[in-house]
Amino acid sequence: MTEPLLQVRDLQVQFNTENGIVRAVNGISFDLAAGETLGIVGESGSGKSVANLALMGLVPQPPGEIVGGRAEMRGVDLLGKSHRELTSIRGNDIAMIFQDPMTALNPFLTIAEQLTEATRLHLGLSPKDALDHAIEMLERVGIPAAKQRVFEYPHQFSGGMRQRVMIAMALSCQPDVLIADEPTTALDVTIQAQILDLMRDLQQKDGTAIILITHDLGVVASVCHRVLVMYGGRIVEQADVDSLFHRPQHPYTHGLLRSAPRWDETRQQELVAIEGQPPDMAQLPAGCAFEPRCPHRIDRCQNEIPDLLPVAAEGPSENCAAACFVDLSVAKLEESQS
Amino acid sequence: MIQDQVKTAAEELPTKVPLLRVEDLKVHFPFQRGSWWKPQRGFIRAVDGISFDVAAGETLGLVGESGCGKSTTARGIMNLLRPTAGRVYLEGNRIDQLDDAGMFPYRQNIQMIFQDPFASLNPRMTVGNIIAEPMEVHGLYDRQQRRLEVMRLLDLVGLNPKFLNRYPHEFSGGQRQRIGIARALVVKPKLIVCDEPVSALDVSIQAQVINLLMDLQQQLGLAYVFIAHDLAVIRHIAHRVGVMYLGRIVELADADQLYKDPRHPYTQALLSAAPTPDPQVQRSRNRVVLEGEVPSPDREYPGCPFADRCPLVEESCRQQVPLLEGDSHQTACLKVTELPA
Repeated sequence: MTEPLLQVRDLQVQFNTENGIVRAVNGISFDLAAGETLGIVGESGSGKSVANLALMGLVPQPPGEIVGGRAEMRGVDLLGKSHRELTSIRGNDIAMIFQDPMTALNPFLTIAEQLTEATRLHLGLSPKDALDHAIEMLERVGIPAAKQRVFEYPHQFSGGMRQRVMIAMALSCQPDVLIADEPTTALDVTIQAQILDLMRDLQQKDGTAIILITHDLGVVASVCHRVLVMYGGRIVEQADVDSLFHRPQHPYTHGLLRSAPRWDETRQQELVAIEGQPPDMAQLPAGCAFEPRCPHRIDRCQNEIPDLLPVAAEGPSENCAAACFVDLSVAKLEESQS
Repeated sequence: MIQDQVKTAAEELPTKVPLLRVEDLKVHFPFQRGSWWKPQRGFIRAVDGISFDVAAGETLGLVGESGCGKSTTARGIMNLLRPTAGRVYLEGNRIDQLDDAGMFPYRQNIQMIFQDPFASLNPRMTVGNIIAEPMEVHGLYDRQQRRLEVMRLLDLVGLNPKFLNRYPHEFSGGQRQRIGIARALVVKPKLIVCDEPVSALDVSIQAQVINLLMDLQQQLGLAYVFIAHDLAVIRHIAHRVGVMYLGRIVELADADQLYKDPRHPYTQALLSAAPTPDPQVQRSRNRVVLEGEVPSPDREYPGCPFADRCPLVEESCRQQVPLLEGDSHQTACLKVTELPA
């Protein structure tokens, strides 16, 4: 196997707040290979965004603090970098797309000014070349009349078009890694389909590795190759996309899949909701964070945090892991018998 | 006294009268833009002629993309916005022309649940007072009974009745939405207009609230007008579904029928764009990806509002506005009605 592009090991991020220490990310490790799309799924507060902001050096410090871990990209640790060193990496090697394209674009600058900033800085293009490059990028992401529209301001674009501009900006220096944080959540389904298609096309052409953060299981199923499921600041399951949806190993993943209504299936009587509330990140339980809501919990879950261990998958991939003391397939069998 | 008159009027009507009837409802907002010396005036046609019935105990889902007029429809029905044209009947009584005082007795029968569980609860009131307020306004029960009623409702929506002295900020999003539901239920309405009630919630919490709403419907015989942009949520909760586009309903049918056999090209495109949480299905699907975006509702279109994006468009579509036609499965499309059913 080739060396992964990005290696994250035991990343820990916490926030020191008035209400105590909020442990947002509690030791997550993963690899990202070139050209793959890695989905990170989880509910609000599960730490999925914070983990990726940490990779970009965008966690506000204070109150945030990166307590430990490494994130190596081609052997270089991203976490210990100074602001200046990060500037040469951000936008050039790693770029990010945010959820809300209106707040992520500067309303006072034209699209041209915002799109040429990175290429002039990182690639050293002249103003003229940078502008040509910006227009070319806008055309690539499917903005009609790019030559005129490049001189317009963000408010003159619709939500879907703004997200295209964000993608054009993120990809303008041909980064190796693109982090997309809920890129389609603010968009309507028909526009979402356009943007997901666009991201997939661009990935196939440039071979960019994508980290896609989302809470939408449908989006994960349509574009991701591999998926991490996060809960309470930890990875509770890691699998290729087919294994995850067809053979979930962690009770949380299983619950999440069952609680989502589907538009392509006739209505059942009742959704199988996960009872209870997500954990308070300032007061995480001593054991597994999912234990209070877990239908398969055993005594051990209360006091011990399970490690993310490989599971013997029956499917095509061996790269599945889950953090659970209970063998879900056995537990489900017992449940159906009782 | 007014209430008594309302009741007798309703009792005289034949039982066939739907709980809610909306006829050709239009809500237009005037706008002025451009420079002040050369202003450009017009109307945003947020809702442009929609009609439907809701029977007692039924859920009508309204689904569509942002800007299609779903929320404006809700506010038009509730008489929170004065409709520009059209008629709204609640149990046979016309309510769209009423002023606040005239509307007051009807508000016991028709209540609303809002999208944002953070903005729709007063942060300075305790949960007990929030839920008791509609009873005070409508003069129901005495103080002691109201308190008991609040506790009964908290229990009904799955919250601990001891929480009644707490404030909204002490609750999570899903719990706040339950408080909003309790507040709507406290006057024993027959119809609840739900405007995106679960879209701000995480999937696992969303399922809890959907289950609660469906349980309550069975227990209390409620009718819902359920507005959402999520096709999966609508299919799960609604008996009948109306698909909206640019202020109009383009297709209205039983939920199963609509999802299995979508007839309007817009409904087909919408369903085809909706991702399924199943990677194998997702890979094998044939998708119709719509080009372009929803046009602005700031002008009147001579023909079908979907014409510019429609794969089936023909010249006649741009000249004639298609009407919602059909018996149980209604479609507003000239091309579809031509096809043999």
